[in-house]
Amino acid sequence: MTIDPILLALIYILIFPGFIFLTVYGLFLQWFDRKISAVMQNRVGPPWYQALADIIKLLSKEVIIPDACDTVMFKILPYFAIAAVVTAALLLPIWTDALCSFQGDLVVVIYLLTIPTVTFFLAGWSSTSPYATIGSMRVLTQLFAYEVPMMLSLIGPAILAGTWNISEIAGFFTAHKPYMLAQIPAFFVALMALQGKLERVPFDIPHAKNEIVGGQFTEYSGRLLAFFYLAVDMEMVVGAGLINAIFLGATLGTAGILGAVIFLAKTLAIVFLLTLTKVLMGRVRIDQMVRFCWQILAPLSMAQILFDIFLKFRLG
Amino acid sequence: MKIKDKIILWSRLKSPWLLHFNGGACNGCDIEIVDALTPKYDLERFGAVLKSTPRHADILVASGPMTRQQVKRIKRIYEQMPEPKFVMAVGACACSGGVFDGCYSVVSGIDKVIPVSIYIPGCPVRPEAILDGAVKLLGALEASSK
Ligand code: SF4
Repeated sequence: MTIDPILLALIYILIFPGFIFLTVYGLFLQWFDRKISAVMQNRVGPPWYQALADIIKLLSKEVIIPDACDTVMFKILPYFAIAAVVTAALLLPIWTDALCSFQGDLVVVIYLLTIPTVTFFLAGWSSTSPYATIGSMRVLTQLFAYEVPMMLSLIGPAILAGTWNISEIAGFFTAHKPYMLAQIPAFFVALMALQGKLERVPFDIPHAKNEIVGGQFTEYSGRLLAFFYLAVDMEMVVGAGLINAIFLGATLGTAGILGAVIFLAKTLAIVFLLTLTKVLMGRVRIDQMVRFCWQILAPLSMAQILFDIFLKFRLG
Repeated sequence: MKIKDKIILWSRLKSPWLLHFNGGACNGCDIEIVDALTPKYDLERFGAVLKSTPRHADILVASGPMTRQQVKRIKRIYEQMPEPKFVMAVGACACSGGVFDGCYSVVSGIDKVIPVSIYIPGCPVRPEAILDGAVKLLGALEASSK
């Protein structure tokens, strides 16, 4: 008996490793992040069900839509954010090859991951309150700072592997493991850029709560806020998964349960590095952030690209 | 009680998000509220997080005797919070006016302006008292919905 391929694809999209897996793992990562930072700060930290309780509570709360805001935009934006992130996840190799992979899916994933950021900006902008507007301007400023280093850092491995296909890049690094070591600077750049994309300390400038209240989400409440938070959590999974696929060889050629375990272990390690960065640093100013991204991260990733091109010539 | 309501109640008990409001306090109580959030007392183990916008908050932690200037503001902030919402009056001032009681510029007590769910006396309150108050508030919420 063969299972209908459409049914299989639906399971892939909705359950594993699609929507449900992303939700559960995203909530788990949020808890993991909070717990680890609590332990590092010598606290007890939240219990394991904390992220779930937060989401359920937000889902059951009243939704307030301010009179002054653009109602339609205000209501639909959270769903756009989630949809973009889930779509990006379908292009990543998680436990075996991705559901659909084609030449250029690396570019597609990068742009799909830009959509949540744009929805954050639009969310703040359409709520029209002053704090939300300032927050959303900062979201955009930050986007221009980290987006280019992020793309540049992902291009290096792609050039070395000679393909724009995420699964093929992963396959290349699985076949030539020592080359992973040569990618460490780009890996570092990608981590920092991901930290900026997820708006975590030290780059949580858009929703710096002791300056501009809640930033772009100031006016959001209840269900809509829950979906935005969920989108951020899922973005963490997809971002870690992308870095894993590009720099660490994704599933390392395994498939099935072993592949999934390898994926979970490596993404947890990446999130641990992100948490470490978060705990070690305090928030920087927006101009410092832009300077850091353009003066350190961008040149570093360009040097990496140059190095990769030379390496590729040596390899022939 | 239906299972859905049970889950919602559970989530509410496990995730109280706070909003801090100073209604003319001498700042003693505010320092103690901040105290309760430090690693030593660690409110996050009960799921409490300090939020900075009323739209995200469940519990309004208000201190001070409510100056006449602040009356309009606290009403507005209270109305901006989504249901269900609770108010914690922290400190002797917030409960009844405390040392400022009878002063021309205050209304003496937050309950003159908005409904208060729990009173935590003390001048200033101890962080333990705030934790205890938060736990009692959640317990009362649980008991009232049985
Ligand atoms: S109760 Fe005491 S410490 Fe608290 S605000 Fe009033 S006077 Fe200050």
